[in-house]
Amino acid sequence: MSERNGLGRRRLLTSAALGGATIVGASALGGLDADAAFAAPMPSLDPAVSTSVFVDGRVGQIRRGVLDVVEADGTHKLIQLTNATSIWKLETVTAEAVEVGDGLYARGVQMPDGSVAADAVWVNIVNLYVTIRGIERSRLHLSHGRNAMVGNIVEKKTTASFRGGALTSNLSQLRIGHHAQVLGAWRPADDSVDIARISVGH
Amino acid sequence: MACGSTSLWAGETSWFCCGSSWGPCGSTGTGACGTCQSGKNMAAWPNLSAACWSVTNPAACGENMPRRGCGSVVNVKHQCSGATVCVTLADCGPNTQMWCSEQTCCNGACRTHRVLDLTPAAYSAIGSLSSGLLPVYIYE
Repeated sequence: MSERNGLGRRRLLTSAALGGATIVGASALGGLDADAAFAAPMPSLDPAVSTSVFVDGRVGQIRRGVLDVVEADGTHKLIQLTNATSIWKLETVTAEAVEVGDGLYARGVQMPDGSVAADAVWVNIVNLYVTIRGIERSRLHLSHGRNAMVGNIVEKKTTASFRGGALTSNLSQLRIGHHAQVLGAWRPADDSVDIARISVGH
Repeated sequence: MACGSTSLWAGETSWFCCGSSWGPCGSTGTGACGTCQSGKNMAAWPNLSAACWSVTNPAACGENMPRRGCGSVVNVKHQCSGATVCVTLADCGPNTQMWCSEQTCCNGACRTHRVLDLTPAAYSAIGSLSSGLLPVYIYE
């Protein structure tokens, strides 16, 4: 994606959030997936100065496409979802998939009213270093730090990589005691994680 | 503190959560430096200290990056898109020795070995969190 398209995407987000734009489709922006959204070159950031906004919190309320997100310190941030917002929740989803109680990371543009027009939202995404403690057909028992955790194997979604190899849907090489990294979506209802990818190390 | 442009290292970066957060990240601490927060542009470096080095053991993969302590600032650049983010070192990691020979590629060029872990805020500045790994150049 060119820098011009990246900046164009930002302008589109802003105008879409202000209600002044008609979204004509993804093709003009080169796609609305999160990878494409951030492929454009961005200015170098000083640690103390951020030109874009990042939000980390849990969804407290949802109203008309606006997420009221509560951060760890209790601060409320309003996240505006537009037609140009890419949303991930184990896979690319629509705004209807976001629920109260979900955790999220969002990136976007600060609006004049203090809300954030989101460019990308990653819902319940986790990327955890774990050890495999047990293996069942549909789930893995994992330890993450000192905590036990269940990793759900999701049909046609879960893939694995072994010692740097290519991704595969064949999980038969998983073994108890393997150290791995799990990229997936946390389930607030039962505190388990739906596994998108498990990468087994040496 | 401004970011430099002197080449320091190159390799793969992953991401990790730290500080107070939701879900499984609620039980993670503030890292080896005691300052790490997912929402800030921060990173973990495998040679943060001698103790850190003994755990991450990048030498097992042939990586002998220099020591950089808590508070050091590095500039991380996506190998292909050119997107950059300036981060402050705040934790020890990744466990490089676990991922020897792993590589991440874009536009036909690959970077091997995990040499950096970014917080979600930092990683999302240069790529999508759902990608999990990115090939990067690191400057100081």
